[in-house]
Amino acid sequence: MPVRLHRRTVLKGAAAASAAAFVGLPTSGRAWAAPSDRKFLFLFASGGWDTAQVFEPKFGGAEGVDLPPLSEPGQIGDLRFVAGPDRPEVARYFARWGHRSAIVNGIDTHSIGHGSGTRFVLTGTSASTSPDWPTRLADADPIALPMPHVVFSGPAFAGGLGASVVRGGDGRLLELIDGSIVGRSGAPASVPASPVDAMIDAVVHEQNARFRGASRARVAAEHEESLERAMELEGRLFEAGLGETTAGLLGTALRAVDLMRLGLARCAMVRIPGRWDTHGDNTPQTRQFGALFGALDRLQEHLATTPGDHAPTLADEIVVVALSELGRTPRLNGGGGKDHWPYTSALVAGPGVAGGRTLGATDDGLQAVPIDFATGRPSAAGDMLGTEHLGAALLRLGGVDPATSLPGVQVLRALLA
Amino acid sequence: MNRLACVLALSWSAAPACAPLEANQITPLDPRGQLMRASMDLLGTRPTEDELVIIDEQPELYPAFVDLWLQTPAFEERLRSVWNLRLLTRTGEVGFDPAEAGIEGVDERAIAASLADEPLRLLSWIARHDRPLTELVTADYTVADQAVARMWDVEIPGFGGWEPGRYADGRPHAGVLSMTTLWQRYPSAGGNANRHRANAVSRLLLCDDYLDRPIAFARSDVEAVASDPEETIRSTPACQSCHATLDPLAAHFYGFWGDEEGLREATLYRPERELLWMEHGGAAPAYYGTPTSNLVELGQQIAEDPRFVDCAVRTAVEGFTQRSLGPADWSEVQALRLAFEEGGLTLRALVRAIVTSETYLAGDAADADLRARLATVRRVSPDQLAGVVEGLTGYRWTIDGRDALTDPNVGLITLAGGVAGDVTAPSWSPSVTLSLLHERLAWLAAWHVVRRDLVEGERLLLRRVTLDTHPDTHASEFAATVRDLLHAVRGRPLEPDSPEPARFAALFAQVYSVEGDPEAAWAAVVSAALRDPAVLFY
Repeated sequence: MPVRLHRRTVLKGAAAASAAAFVGLPTSGRAWAAPSDRKFLFLFASGGWDTAQVFEPKFGGAEGVDLPPLSEPGQIGDLRFVAGPDRPEVARYFARWGHRSAIVNGIDTHSIGHGSGTRFVLTGTSASTSPDWPTRLADADPIALPMPHVVFSGPAFAGGLGASVVRGGDGRLLELIDGSIVGRSGAPASVPASPVDAMIDAVVHEQNARFRGASRARVAAEHEESLERAMELEGRLFEAGLGETTAGLLGTALRAVDLMRLGLARCAMVRIPGRWDTHGDNTPQTRQFGALFGALDRLQEHLATTPGDHAPTLADEIVVVALSELGRTPRLNGGGGKDHWPYTSALVAGPGVAGGRTLGATDDGLQAVPIDFATGRPSAAGDMLGTEHLGAALLRLGGVDPATSLPGVQVLRALLA
Repeated sequence: MNRLACVLALSWSAAPACAPLEANQITPLDPRGQLMRASMDLLGTRPTEDELVIIDEQPELYPAFVDLWLQTPAFEERLRSVWNLRLLTRTGEVGFDPAEAGIEGVDERAIAASLADEPLRLLSWIARHDRPLTELVTADYTVADQAVARMWDVEIPGFGGWEPGRYADGRPHAGVLSMTTLWQRYPSAGGNANRHRANAVSRLLLCDDYLDRPIAFARSDVEAVASDPEETIRSTPACQSCHATLDPLAAHFYGFWGDEEGLREATLYRPERELLWMEHGGAAPAYYGTPTSNLVELGQQIAEDPRFVDCAVRTAVEGFTQRSLGPADWSEVQALRLAFEEGGLTLRALVRAIVTSETYLAGDAADADLRARLATVRRVSPDQLAGVVEGLTGYRWTIDGRDALTDPNVGLITLAGGVAGDVTAPSWSPSVTLSLLHERLAWLAAWHVVRRDLVEGERLLLRRVTLDTHPDTHASEFAATVRDLLHAVRGRPLEPDSPEPARFAALFAQVYSVEGDPEAAWAAVVSAALRDPAVLFY
C-alpha cells in the first residue's frame, strides 16, 4: 500500500531533526527522550484500588492495616512494596523494572466519590471545564499529531481541548481508519483505492476552503485540521499494517504504544480491567493487582526491546502512569470489603522519572502526612501531597510548563530525575 | 428577577452578568439559513427545497414552520435525544435477560433500547400532549411499550406503541422518580445508602451535582470516617455541607432497595422497605428541609422548586443550541424561563422561545468570543448526521443490522461526538474521528445512490444522467447534475460562475482514468459532494 506523505508528516520530521540538533545529548547523559518527545500511557483502575495490596507496606503498624493474607514485604533499593506468593508478578515487576519506577503514596484525592475523585486525580481540580493530564500533554505537542490523545477506554476530561482527544469507540476506531468498516455495513462498498481516495480528498479540501469565512473561520480551521489528521492517519495506519484487534490490558496497551511509536499519538488512556470498587469483598484486588503487574512487566519488556524514535528504546521514550481515583479504607469492613478512602497511590515509570523510590507518605493508619516536595519524604514543615502536585510533575515530565495551567501549584519535584 | 437580584445571584463571577446583548452585536442568518438551522434542530434533517423557496419569499413564515415542526414525531425524537444528554439512559447496556420476563427469540438490544427510553418517552409524551413539564416528576403513570411492559411488569392498554400505564407492584407513581429504568441506570449499592440516586435526582432534575462541590476535610474528619463513617457523616460539618440535604433525598428510595438477583426480584418496588432509611444513615425523607413521606411528595416538591424549571431551560438551550451557558447568558435564560412559564411549562413553548430568539438565529457576531459563546456555527450530532445523509440520499448507515449512528452498541456514537457508555458529555468540536466517519458514510451513501439511480435506474438524486454520461461528452448534463448535488447538500444554489462543476468534472475524469469504471467515477463525485462541510455544520 503506498504511503501518503502529508505536510504534517514532513513538518514533524523536520521538527524532530531540529529538536535533536538543539537538545544534543539526552538529558543528564541518559538515553532518555527529551521531555517534549516523551509519550504518556495512562492506565486507570476505575473504582478505587486498595493501596495496601502493593504500594503501602504497612506491616505491623500500630493502628493496623488489613493487608492481603499472604503478604510479604518487598524492597528494591529505596522502593518498598507489598508482594505475595499469590501475586508473584508484583515482585517480578519491581525486580526487573523497579529502578525506573516510582511509587507515589499519600495522594490526597480531595474526595471520596468516584466521579469527583476521577476528576481530581486526572485534572487536579473539580472544575468540569479543566482538561485532564493526558489531554494537556497531548495538546501541547509542538507539532500536532493525528490522534494526540487516544482514549481506548477509561475516563477522559477534554475540557476545552476536545479536538485533541480521540475516543476509541469500543474497538471501531481502527476499522474506521483503515476503511474496513464500509465492508461491514449495510449495502457494503469496497474501500476506495488510495489514488481515488486522494483525488476525492483534494476536492474536499477545496470545498472546505470555500466554506471558510469570517463567521466560520474557527470552525473551518478546526475542521481542516481534523481532515488533515484523518488523511495522515489513514496513510500512516496502512503503512504500519495495524489492524489486528487484541483484547485485554496488555493488548490494548501495546496498541497504544504502537500508535505512539508511529508518531500518531502522544498520549493514551486505557482502563485497567477488574472490579476495583470492592465494598463487599476485597479479595479480587489481589488477583487484579497480580494481573496488572503481569501486564506491566510484559509491557516494559516490550518497551525495552523496541527501538524508539527519539531514544534507543521506547522504554526511554514512553512514560507509563498507573492511577486510581481513590484508595480504600485501611481495615476491612464487616462484609470483608473495603470502602472509599481519600488517599491513593500512583505508579510512574519511564524517562525522566526518579525511579527506584517511594515518594509521599502515609502514617500507620494510611492517612497522608506532609512531605518535602523536593525529596518526597515526610517533613513536618512540608505540605500535603494532592492530585494537582502529581499532575504538575507529570506535565513537567512532558515538557509542559505547569505554571500556565496550574498557577501557584507546587510540582512534586522529587518525581523528576 | 430584577437586576440587583440577578447580580447578587451571580456574584461569584466577574462577567457582565445580566447585560443583554446589544442589537449590533449579532448578525442574523438569512431566512434560508434560519430555516435550515431550525429544521436541523427540530427535525434532525434538512428542510425540503420547496420549504426553502417558501421562506425565501415569505420570511415571516418562520414561526409558522417552527410551530408546524413542533407537532411532528421527528421533533419528539429530537427532544428525547437532547434530554438524553442529561439523563444519559441510552447507554446500550443490557442489564437483564429478556427470557426471564418470558420474552423469547427477541433482539436483546432492541429490548434494552426500549428500556433506556422509558423516561425519555414520558418526556416526549408530555410534550406531545402539551402537559406541563412538572409531570416529569408528578405523573401518576409511566409510559411503556410492549417491551417495557413485559420487562418491568407495567400494565398498559396494549393498543400498540408507547402508552401510559402503571407498574403492577403497587409503587407510588411520580413520573421518572418511580421508574425502574432510572434506578437501574443509577443504582445504589451497599453502604452508599441511595446517595447515588439522590445525587442523580439533583444532577438530572435540578442541574446541581453534589460532586461538583468543593470539599475540605480536616484531618480529624478523616480519622473519624475510618472508625465510624455514618456517625461522622451525621456529626461533621464538612460532611453535612452535602449530606444534610443529600441523605434526606436518598431516604425516598428505599422502596427500590435490595440486592436480590434476577429480573423480577431486582426490579420490584417494595413498599414495606420504605422505612429502611432508619437503618441506613437515619435521615428521614425530606426535600431541602421540608419533610416528605414518599416519592409522590418528593415529586411535588421538585416540581415547585425553581431550579427544576431553570434546569429544564438549561437542558433545552444547551442541547438544542450546543452552547455552554454561563453568567453572561443570565438575562437570556431568564427571558426563556418567562416564556416557558407563560406557555404553561410546556416543552413546545420552551423550544419555540429558544428557536425564535435572536441569539438562536445569529449567523455571526461582533467578535470571536461572542461567536463561540453563541455557537454561531453548529456541528451535527450523530443522529443529525444520519438524518441529513438519509434525507439527501435515502441511505441509512447500518452495521450488523443496527443503526450505525444512533445505536450505542455499534460503537460509533462516541466517535461522532455523542454520548454513550462511559462518555457522558458530547463534543461539539470538529474531530478527526468525525472526519473519518463522514468520509466513510459519504462513500457508502454515494455507492447507494449510484446503484439506485444509475444501475437500477430510479434516478432520484442523479436525475439528469446515466452511466454513459461523461463530462467530456455531456458537459451540460454533468454540470447541471453537480449543481443539483451541491444545491441539495448546501441548501443553496451555486453561483452561476462557480468553478465547482468543472472541478467535479476533473475529479470524474481522474477517477475514471484510474478505475475505468463509470460507477466508481460517479461514486467519487457523489461522495465528494456529500463531504461538503455543509453536511457537518449549520
